[in-house]
Amino acid sequence: MFPVVVVHGGAGHIPKERSENSTSGVCSAARAGYTILQGGGSSMDAVVEAVTQLENNPSFNAGCGSVLNVKGEVEMDAIVMDGKTLGSGAVSAVRNIANPIQLARLVMDKTGHACLTAEGANQFARSMGVPEVPLESLITDYSRMRWKKNLAPDANPVECQMGKMGTVGAVAVDSEGNVACATSTGGMLNKMEGRVGDTPCIGCGGYADNQVGAVSTTGHGEAIMKVILARLILFHMEQGQSVEAASDLALAYMKSRVGGLGGVVTVDPQGQWAARFSSLQMAWAAAQKDILHYGLYTGEHFTQSIDDPL
Amino acid sequence: MNLKMSAVVVVHGGAWAIPDDLAKASVDGVKVASCEGFSVLRRGGSALDAVEAAVRALEENTVFNAGHGAVLNADGEVELDAMIMDGRTLASGAVSSVKNIANPVSLARAVMEKTTHIMLSSRGANLFAESIGMATVPTDTLVTEYERKEWEKHNNYLTGVMQDFNSQWTHDTVGAVSVDSAGNVACATSTGGIRNKMVGRVGDSPIIGSGGYADNFSGAVSCTGHGESILKVTLARLILSHIEQGKSVAVSSQLSLQYMGERVRGAGGAIVVSPSGQWAATFTTERMAWAAVDHDVLWYGLDPNERSKEQLSQYI
Repeated sequence: MFPVVVVHGGAGHIPKERSENSTSGVCSAARAGYTILQGGGSSMDAVVEAVTQLENNPSFNAGCGSVLNVKGEVEMDAIVMDGKTLGSGAVSAVRNIANPIQLARLVMDKTGHACLTAEGANQFARSMGVPEVPLESLITDYSRMRWKKNLAPDANPVECQMGKMGTVGAVAVDSEGNVACATSTGGMLNKMEGRVGDTPCIGCGGYADNQVGAVSTTGHGEAIMKVILARLILFHMEQGQSVEAASDLALAYMKSRVGGLGGVVTVDPQGQWAARFSSLQMAWAAAQKDILHYGLYTGEHFTQSIDDPL
Repeated sequence: MNLKMSAVVVVHGGAWAIPDDLAKASVDGVKVASCEGFSVLRRGGSALDAVEAAVRALEENTVFNAGHGAVLNADGEVELDAMIMDGRTLASGAVSSVKNIANPVSLARAVMEKTTHIMLSSRGANLFAESIGMATVPTDTLVTEYERKEWEKHNNYLTGVMQDFNSQWTHDTVGAVSVDSAGNVACATSTGGIRNKMVGRVGDSPIIGSGGYADNFSGAVSCTGHGESILKVTLARLILSHIEQGKSVAVSSQLSLQYMGERVRGAGGAIVVSPSGQWAATFTTERMAWAAVDHDVLWYGLDPNERSKEQLSQYI
């Protein structure tokens, strides 16, 4: 079994001028996660590290670079899940935190709860000594521009959403066969205040179970929630489908049943992995056996040695 | 011969070690709520209308931990969670950590029907309620004397350890599932959460696939019990996955609750209805107050293996 980390930077329709940043961003994050696995680190450490990097990267809709809600503010959601214990931690509608994925992990590790929301999540952050960051530090010119554009009465945020980076996430399996997932997002462009999407909802934004595998999802949040996408993929795997077939089946079902598009990264405890999407593009990268794999458009699968520059 | 599908409604008022002094009120409460739901179906109402009506009745009843009668969080405030789901379209609405709303299930339904979102949290949920003219009620009207006393007791009895929560914590979330005469299924779940929970704690109740799920192809489920355990196994969706594989509603529920007990040491309960009108009320806690109306018969129970019945005409 070869440990692997698979990362995504959002499913949608990424404008060409931004695609280079998305590709380099996910590759960087995959490398960071892989370094941890190589050093004997856990899959949980690997996915949290990968997602932390993507949150810090302003090119992605998570942490810094998050899309703005209708009021022009940033509210973020995140989840982690540990396939060994089925333990999970999530935050929803949290503000002024640089790394929601780390806060989500603290919820899992330091409380008896699975999810904290809004002001309660911020209160917990303070109690943990997690610094509060100014709203401005999370907003980019690009996100502000998209927000303004979507305030227009004839704008269609779901359509426009697909023209922007989506949620970020990662899955991994480590040398002990433990799987984990992590997903983080600023949510939907111009969403209502307090809107919570699929990301922090266990089974939707992600799921991890050592007996089956781990999934992290991205795409149209409400559609992902309606079909409990992450858990659905794992149900198919429990029935004997491969990581790829299970992912494709579930994405196809989401499209036909509720008209939603998205993407997933999936891993099983044996180290099989897949990065699949029904949207036009998804920035993804995987690292296994010292090889870096990555792609953006449907059908793309580039490989190179992990140590070579992109 | 009546060619219509059977219309059924099942409700629960929480799975936990319901003490004897609350037993009669709990059973009466679920009986009344299930009849409320059934009278909606009788008038030709949808499964969605029926579950909302049943859960509203439970929210208004202070003996249950939802709406009125909800437990208090660590700050001594009431934060409510609820969800509702339509099995025909998979549309869903949910609110988490909303304050001062008498009927969170109706707010959840408004999220489903009046927004393009599924879930709103906290202040955002309250702003939305205001925008649609839903009344806010003072915290005092939601909190009972009993709960205030219990909260003070627990507050002084500091528990940093959350491990052995299954027996200690009340988890009387309420919920309902229904199938109507058109074969549509729906579910709804509502709660005040765990007493002395951290501020902003969100349990299973408003989380689609965990606290509830409804799909015309397999059925509708509403869960209750230890929220964090229900989340870990996405209990509602798990039960339906067994039904999809051909198992009965009862076996699917038992297998799933058993799995939850073995894998994550969590206890709870679930009510399920299938599109063809099969139903089950199952629990691994000491008790669960539940009631169902099916073919003009009112079924109900509290203790394991209890299944009492009455002819409906007594209540309508």
